[in-house]
Amino acid sequence: MSGMNNIDHNTSSQSDIDEIESLFHISVQPAALEVPRSVPPARKPSSPPRIPVSAPLLPPSFVSSSNQAFSTPVQSGPTPSTGAGFGGGPQYNTLTEPVRETLKRDLLRVATNLKDVVLPNPYREDPGKALRDWDLWGPFFFIIFLALTLSYSATENKSKVFAVVFATLSAGAIVLTLNVQLLGGSIIFFQSLSVLGYCLFPLDVSALVCQVNNTKLFRSLVVLVALAWSSWAAYPFVSTAVPSSRKALAVYPVLLLYITVGFLVLAND
Amino acid sequence: MAGAYASLASEATGTVPAAVESDHVPHFQDSNLQIFPPAYDTRENMTSLFRPPNDADETFSQPGHGGQGGQGIPGPNQAWQGYFNVLSYRPYFNVDTVDVTDRIKDSLKVDVGFVEKTSQNPDMYGPFWICSTLVFVTASLGNLAAYLSYKSKTTGGHWHYDINLMSSAALVFYGYVGLVPLALYFLLRYLGVTSGVFQLWCLYGYSLFVFIPASFLSVVPWEIVRWLVVGAASFMSAIFVGGNIRTQIRTANDRWLAIVIGTVATHLALGLVLKFYFFTYFQHDAL
Repeated sequence: MSGMNNIDHNTSSQSDIDEIESLFHISVQPAALEVPRSVPPARKPSSPPRIPVSAPLLPPSFVSSSNQAFSTPVQSGPTPSTGAGFGGGPQYNTLTEPVRETLKRDLLRVATNLKDVVLPNPYREDPGKALRDWDLWGPFFFIIFLALTLSYSATENKSKVFAVVFATLSAGAIVLTLNVQLLGGSIIFFQSLSVLGYCLFPLDVSALVCQVNNTKLFRSLVVLVALAWSSWAAYPFVSTAVPSSRKALAVYPVLLLYITVGFLVLAND
Repeated sequence: MAGAYASLASEATGTVPAAVESDHVPHFQDSNLQIFPPAYDTRENMTSLFRPPNDADETFSQPGHGGQGGQGIPGPNQAWQGYFNVLSYRPYFNVDTVDVTDRIKDSLKVDVGFVEKTSQNPDMYGPFWICSTLVFVTASLGNLAAYLSYKSKTTGGHWHYDINLMSSAALVFYGYVGLVPLALYFLLRYLGVTSGVFQLWCLYGYSLFVFIPASFLSVVPWEIVRWLVVGAASFMSAIFVGGNIRTQIRTANDRWLAIVIGTVATHLALGLVLKFYFFTYFQHDAL
């Protein structure tokens, strides 16, 4: 018995790390059910070197109940972990998946969020449900795209145009969020940035369309439609966040920001 | 909120001193928001304010505070955190839509009792968004006016959208509303007059509102119209600011007239800058 204890002592730290690695194998490749229970101390890791994952990523119960966890196969599928991440969605153990999967998942999320924000949606009025799975990739792409388009089509000071548009949009989104919070509303900072960024999508489309045709009338019409669409998309989120006596105070700056950007799109030659 | 104005007005009239009295009327001091961050000073009035949780160590280490646990003066290691917390700025945005529109109307009516009305509740919403609107309006209308005057001439150079107008508009307006009241506040303190920096910011911010319609009217291509419009707006705005300052400091200091003239002059200078930079067009030569 003492021998067993000695062996347990010597192999405890190594076997913890190997347990964790084995759990990764199990969650990522559900077919591999065979799990080594005791490990020789001098074993080299068979997988390519990975970022060492510290124990707190998994719930401590996994580490503490070491042997029991192995007796039954761990359920396949995503292991809920306590890692920080985007709002709301399932937390995947995503370190070991191929990049293609990550990109696909992020793009899908951007598309879903875009659909939720920009198209008619029964949950628009409810800020709790409106954009549960918010992310910041979408807004980032839209802001960069708009700034690039406007900068590309400008005839002078291209880099300054890019800088001004980018600064206006990003600082504007932050200031708008702070505005709602200061007026007494309660919104999540990054969720609000996310919504305001997604609402830029119609203006992006209009900037692209304006490249095609250069007449002022056509541009004015396109920009007007895009403005109306953007404002319609952003309005419910902002107006439901503040007390009703201050609704106009919260909504007006949003309109101001989109009109500013719309004017920049319109006036670009 | 309208009721609060009525009570303030009656209170204010009662405090106008007789000529023999040498004490000035501390209108600026009425606001509870003088101390910043206000969360640490006026707990009783603002129950919805956030207070950062008090460290247990702090209450233990300072025996004087033991029983209070957070009331009274917080420890020195906590006061600076208020500056970084968005919620401690909330009292300065405690206005409803109807309040903001009332204040804007007062500025258009050139109401010299404006500071008295807003001394209890100066808001930063108005100044900030009026400045932002003004930046956008002058930059875009300046470009539009340049475009129209380029179009109206049969021969002409080349017109391009001047993005510099937007960044310089931001610099001019935010700089003016940010720095001039601050300088005035320090000047008044130097001269021994108590004043409130937030009330001054509120005053200057709302005084700029009249430039927004003036910018819209300055789009017409006739110089004389532009001069008239911008001149009228500058005068209205300058009298608004000067009148309010005069009301506040007339009894406080012998040099009040010089200060009032100084504020009026800087305001007129702003109007001039607006006219010359945004609404005067030089023909861009063909490139």
